[in-house]
Amino acid sequence: MSVVNYGTREITCKIVYYGPGRSGKTTNLQHIYSQLPEERKGKMVSLATETDRTLFFDFLPLDLGTISGFNTRFQLYTVPGQVYYAATRKLVLQGVDGVVFVADSQSRQLAENIESLQDLHENLADDGFDPRTMPLVMQYNKRDLPAEEISPLEELDNKLNFRGVPHFPASAISGGGVFECLRSIASLVLARLSAPAAKG
Amino acid sequence: MAADEKDEGAEFADFMADISQEISERVESLDAALPAPAPPLARKVATPSLSSDARMILDWDNVAERMIEEML
Repeated sequence: MSVVNYGTREITCKIVYYGPGRSGKTTNLQHIYSQLPEERKGKMVSLATETDRTLFFDFLPLDLGTISGFNTRFQLYTVPGQVYYAATRKLVLQGVDGVVFVADSQSRQLAENIESLQDLHENLADDGFDPRTMPLVMQYNKRDLPAEEISPLEELDNKLNFRGVPHFPASAISGGGVFECLRSIASLVLARLSAPAAKG
Repeated sequence: MAADEKDEGAEFADFMADISQEISERVESLDAALPAPAPPLARKVATPSLSSDARMILDWDNVAERMIEEML
C-alpha cells in the first residue's frame, strides 16, 4: 500500500495502536494530543464508556503541515481491546500502514497480550495484509508499576516479539516512551516510500 | 521516561524535526527516481478528489450498526 500520493502531493499514514484491553492505547494518544501545539490541535475523537473503556475507537489526526512540498498527515487510531469487539478491530485495521502493539507489562496480563497479538495477526491476514511484513513496533507499557508486578523486558520480548521488531519500554501515563514508539513506527512506515507499492 | 519533565510540546517538536528530515530525504530519492508528473488535463467535471480522508472511516451509519451489533 502506497502512503504517498504524488498527484495530490500528500503523504498520509494510518497508524493503529493495538493491544489488549486496558493496556494503555488511549493513554498513548492522549499524551500525544497533550503535546501538540495549539495550532496543530485538531479533534481527538474518543468514544468511551462511563468507566473510560474505549467503546469503539479513538482517532487522532496529526496534521504535520507541508514537508518537502507534501501535505503530511498521520492518522492515529486505537482499537477497543476487549475481546468481544472483534469486528470493530478488523474494521479499524482496514488500510493500516503501521501498528504499535501496546502490551501490558503486568505479569498477570501475559496471556491477554499473546491473545491480542494473535488476534492482530489474524485480522491483518483477513484484511489481506502479510502480518510478517506489516510495519510494527512493540511497546511494553506500564513500566512504572512495581517491579514485582511486571515482567522483565527480556521475558516480554521473548514471548511477544518473535519478529524482532523495534521495542520500547513505556509509561504512557507519564508519557515515557510514547513518542519514541511513534517516531519508530513513523520511520518504518516512511521507509516504505522507497519500496515498491505492494499490499502487505 | 520522565517525559513530563520536558516542556510541553518539546517532544512533538523533536518528533517533527525527525520526521521532516526523514520525509525530505525519502522524497528527494523518489523525485530522482520517478518521471515528472504529467501535466494536468483540461478540467472536465468537478469530481471530488481522492483525498487522504479515503482511509478514514466515513460510513458512520454502517459503523454505528456494527457497534450496536457487537454490543448486543
